[in-house]
Amino acid sequence: MIFLLRRLAFYIGAFFLAVTFNFFIPRLMPGDPSARIIASFQGRLNEAQVEAIRKSYGFTGSLWEQYVTYVGSIMRLDFGISTVQFPEPTASLLFYAATWTLVLVGLAIFFAFTIGSFMGIHAAWHRGGFFDSFFTPINVMLNAFTPAIVALLLFYAFSLQLQWFPLGRAHSTSIMPAFSVEFIGSVLYHATLPVMSIFLVSFGGWHLGMRNVMINLLNEDFVILAKAKGLSDRRVRYRYVARNAILPQITALALSIGFLLGGALVTEQVFNYPGLGKFTFTAIGSRDYSFIQGQLLLLTASVLVANLLSDIANVILDPRLRT
Amino acid sequence: MAELTQSMPLGISRPIPTVTDNPPPTQAELMAELGLKSRPGWTSRLPPGLAAFVTNGKGMVGVVILLALILTALFAPLLTSYDPNRRAGKPHVQPGYEHVLGTTRMGKDAFTQLVYGGRVSLTVGIGAGLAAAMIGLALGISAGYFGGRTDDIITFFVNVVLVLPGLPLIIVIATMVETAGPPVIGLVLALTGWGWAARTIRTQTLALRAREFVLAAELMGEKKWRIILIEIFPNMLSFVMGGFVLGTIAAILAEAALEFIGLGDPNSVTWGTMLYWAQKNLALQSGAWWEIWPPCIAIMLTGAALVLINFAVDEITNPQLKASRKIGRIRRFLSRRGRSADVF
Repeated sequence: MIFLLRRLAFYIGAFFLAVTFNFFIPRLMPGDPSARIIASFQGRLNEAQVEAIRKSYGFTGSLWEQYVTYVGSIMRLDFGISTVQFPEPTASLLFYAATWTLVLVGLAIFFAFTIGSFMGIHAAWHRGGFFDSFFTPINVMLNAFTPAIVALLLFYAFSLQLQWFPLGRAHSTSIMPAFSVEFIGSVLYHATLPVMSIFLVSFGGWHLGMRNVMINLLNEDFVILAKAKGLSDRRVRYRYVARNAILPQITALALSIGFLLGGALVTEQVFNYPGLGKFTFTAIGSRDYSFIQGQLLLLTASVLVANLLSDIANVILDPRLRT
Repeated sequence: MAELTQSMPLGISRPIPTVTDNPPPTQAELMAELGLKSRPGWTSRLPPGLAAFVTNGKGMVGVVILLALILTALFAPLLTSYDPNRRAGKPHVQPGYEHVLGTTRMGKDAFTQLVYGGRVSLTVGIGAGLAAAMIGLALGISAGYFGGRTDDIITFFVNVVLVLPGLPLIIVIATMVETAGPPVIGLVLALTGWGWAARTIRTQTLALRAREFVLAAELMGEKKWRIILIEIFPNMLSFVMGGFVLGTIAAILAEAALEFIGLGDPNSVTWGTMLYWAQKNLALQSGAWWEIWPPCIAIMLTGAALVLINFAVDEITNPQLKASRKIGRIRRFLSRRGRSADVF
């Protein structure tokens, strides 16, 4: 319990650091975002209008007052007003986009982690064999092919050339969003290639990580004892070695979520998928700062939640942490 | 065995095994059967870590690919006579004699852009990776060696850097500065990419600090900086190298991704901006494959080379991985002789 509470305190601290960071970056840069907006009106604004724009961006009062206002609004999930889709609040746009990103990243992580881990277990058990010496380097090399390139390749081959998969969107426009087989089928069909491209660049990492931890564990005395007791291969492999090897993998999984979300941002750009990446891209183009800052906070929060979940999973799987 | 028993005419069912029938195999025969080669003599003069690296096939393939890429980038002016920033011909000319990799939508020579772009991309990637490894080394060693309050504070920041999502953070910074040219991107990548290196080096320092040779140096009254530099640092080289290689991979991929989504300076020539322009000009949709695949292949080759180098570095930091490479052959060797291979 104390372990979890300490981790929770750390996550709250880290989140506040991200909020503070978000607060100071625009204020450290020469000229604030509101100044750019004001400049774009080329002096056609009067005093009161300028003040109103500055106020809507939270640039009035002392630095401390601004900070308190900023933190307060974040706590109320108020990320400001979007300038791209004025006057939509940024928060509702963020959550709409995040849902689709979550679909992509969730599916990709699930497949990459399970398939990668099983491949790693297999490679470590038959280490030095054909599977290990052939697939381990190839899978890991896939890891170094950035999502942008894999996405472009898949898009070119399957969407443009073969036309097996759609050119964009998260679901077919002719189907109304509903909890029906048709709609879910359409969502999965549209998500296949984006999920595939995130999957391809991430499963090699789990393969290598699992393999390397397993190999170190296989020489431990408890494994030799388990074999000497005559336990079945399956039991030694999964209940003895894999269960221990999965612990650092779960921690790494939570830490990698930030990287995967970043990869999803690029993938969505290629597949024209209406997730956070697509929205962030439009926000960058039109300098919609409230959205750009909002995506950082949202993604940070999701990485922290993932880390908390991995801590809980570690406590469940590892009795040594339960003291 | 089988053909021996059949050829025995006198009703003897089993041949009596004798030592003289099969002279014991020579060492050369055994090594050939196990697929081992003796190391070239000159490697014995190198430090053991470097010798292990030089004799590692995967690592050396990686080094050769990386060197080839660096050399083409370095000698770019000798390889092409065009200017990467200027129009060199008609838009979207097919690859041919005049333009080895064709021209872009803007009529710039794609091959020229590729080799000149490699200069910037590789410099930013390697520079950011090196800087990240150095920050990680400094913070990791200090945290591990000094312990106590220093350790607590540094570990807090290491954990923060590890949990903050890198690309979204860089997006925020890159949109705030007016134009994020390659130096800015490199700087931001270096400042956000040192988490893993610091963590592994801290753990390793903690392990080394408890060893006798460090204790002996402390008892002899050596200065702290001397213990860190002379006693601890040399044992840390492979970890620094690992941090450098992984940091470089991350930096090159992140730079390409950032520029691809249009956050970089679109006027600079890098692999990432080449992809950005190709995507923006719908090169794929209009069939101009030569505008988009060369930078992709260059980035993939760099990534693959660094991964191969990292395999070699991994085997030095974790010797059990290296031992495991030969285990398949050893098992087959033992089972041919009817011995149990279950202990492995």
